[in-house]
Amino acid sequence: MTYSNNGFFDKFGGKYVAEIIRRPLDDLEEAFNKYIRDPEFLEELRVIQRDYIGRETPLYFAPTATELLGGAQIYIKLEGLANTGAHKINNAIGQCLLAKKMGKTRIIAETGAGQHGLATAAACAKLGLECVVYMGEVDVRRQQPNVATMEMYGAKVVPVTSGSRTLKDAVNEAMRDWATNFKNTHYVLGSALGPAPFPDIVRTFQSIIGEEVKRQAAERNIDIAAVVACVGGGSNSIGVFTPFINDANVRLIGAEAGGIGPNVGENASRMTGNASREGIVQGYKSRFLIDEDGQSLPTRSISAGLDYMGIGPQLAALGESGRVEFTSILDKEALEAVKFFARNEGILFALESAHAGAAAMKIAKELPKDKALVINMSGRGDKDIFITSPVFRPEKWKEFLKAELKRLDNNEDIHDAEIMNKK
Amino acid sequence: MNLMSHLIAGFPDEETSIAIADALVKGGANILEIQLAFSDPSADGPAIQTASTIALEKGYSTKQGLEVVKKIHERHPETPIYIMTYGSLAFTPGIENFVKMCKDAGVSACIIPDLPFDCDEGLTEACKKHGLENIPVAAPSMTKERLETMASKGFKYIYAALRAGTTGSETTIDQATLDFIDTVGKGGAKVLGGFGIRNGEQSKVLSKHVYAVVAGSVFVNIVLANENTDKGKALAIEQIEAKAKELTGLQ
Repeated sequence: MTYSNNGFFDKFGGKYVAEIIRRPLDDLEEAFNKYIRDPEFLEELRVIQRDYIGRETPLYFAPTATELLGGAQIYIKLEGLANTGAHKINNAIGQCLLAKKMGKTRIIAETGAGQHGLATAAACAKLGLECVVYMGEVDVRRQQPNVATMEMYGAKVVPVTSGSRTLKDAVNEAMRDWATNFKNTHYVLGSALGPAPFPDIVRTFQSIIGEEVKRQAAERNIDIAAVVACVGGGSNSIGVFTPFINDANVRLIGAEAGGIGPNVGENASRMTGNASREGIVQGYKSRFLIDEDGQSLPTRSISAGLDYMGIGPQLAALGESGRVEFTSILDKEALEAVKFFARNEGILFALESAHAGAAAMKIAKELPKDKALVINMSGRGDKDIFITSPVFRPEKWKEFLKAELKRLDNNEDIHDAEIMNKK
Repeated sequence: MNLMSHLIAGFPDEETSIAIADALVKGGANILEIQLAFSDPSADGPAIQTASTIALEKGYSTKQGLEVVKKIHERHPETPIYIMTYGSLAFTPGIENFVKMCKDAGVSACIIPDLPFDCDEGLTEACKKHGLENIPVAAPSMTKERLETMASKGFKYIYAALRAGTTGSETTIDQATLDFIDTVGKGGAKVLGGFGIRNGEQSKVLSKHVYAVVAGSVFVNIVLANENTDKGKALAIEQIEAKAKELTGLQ
């Protein structure tokens, strides 16, 4: 199961949308099927991937982690080295280039943590497209560094004040915009979910991750026993898994957000635990954190990128068939993994990707020493400084923020601030 | 003329939503479209989403919402009630269970825009089985082919969303719109036409071309502007009755 059957992956997927949004989806499907077979488009994309994104990204052997974990050889796919710091750019560039071919001049996107918004903003700046990013008001407040960067790239960030004012509400708002403006506008959805054809499109553009891993492994005679990736909506995981789906020798493991515990509202686990149900929400059928009526439930994770109620339909199907195994990782385990790989390998995982790192730390021992366990580090952790610093060095961080605030209140240049003269 | 007017069960509270239904009927509305609040109403504009959030915060999900519907039905047994909601609320309890719950509350039709007519999870069939109508929602941006397919499926009513956007913006009735209405009704379906109706003049023009004029966010906006005080609520109810009268030409 690598491509949908008319939008469906077994029973999941589909195009459950109001007719107002049907036409842009159908137009997009047609254009995607045309350009993804067009050698000129693919060559243009390849050059951008090479020169702008910085592909291929390394498949790094982690010797100290391998020794400490005492099992399979640990390899880390460094997607965090892609331009803008995460795998999100693979899809953003692909879709923006496609939109340009379709004659669209305006791009809209939803974003939660801001990583997809940031990647889309960068892609639009690079390709000369107008960019509007919808972001829940709550997320705008807690993810200011990414908002600032999006604006630096020239994007307009629109705070969404409806509903719970988070990612799912940003999706609703982007859908509304698209329904009204689809003649000149393309909606770059950021994960392998939503109504067809988005799951197929996003997976196709993200599959380059897995294709590179497969090629790099073959070149270096690396025998892969398992691939592990974190799963929010599922774009990095389906991207790294896809070339291995039909290879039964490779275990595929998805790490979900276990948050702070197993109860409703404490996590974002759709495939593990018992908080989720089958449902139809935001245009697709999958497993969702919804209540018995079908209303969306609150979710929780230290990593904003995994904090979403739904999972991509293809992953839901692969999970139900048993092809992809799912595990859930607590906030504190993810933080431990950040520390472990930073100290031992000099590699700073994003909190999202650290869920994959934490899962690998648990299962490495189960695997033989002559085999490889590949962790997809979907993004790097620089962006998490406002979340990790208060955990790892709370007092110093507080002092820093207070001094910064004081400096800004006094309208002082950093060179004149009190903090510079303190002995 | 026929007016299908809209309210949200439990918004701004149970008592007021029942009073709104009374005011709409008194103002000449002869079909009530009652929305069951959903957490992610992506085919609605911000006004209805905000109102839905308020209803949900007060506990008016499916069961409680349908209790309000039942009370309204008992007060106005002669006025057909059409339920509007989203696929999630119909699919999660099981489509047939959902239709049965609606029937028990006195509902005569379902409008669920994100269960497309060609992939409706058995909604049309379940409605037929229990004596309800499934009313699909057509949009002007649909391809001619898809629209004609919908029109020929034998639906008794089709809801025509008369603008390429969502609820809450202005409507102009141009030739393209009139052609669209014609196509929607081609297979014999009665056309419920609306989205963005604001005043009596618009509804008068539109009423010549459709079976019933639909007005929704105009009423929700009146409530949203006044919902915070008892006095405001009483005023909103007065204004709603007056607005319904304006739209139906009773005043």
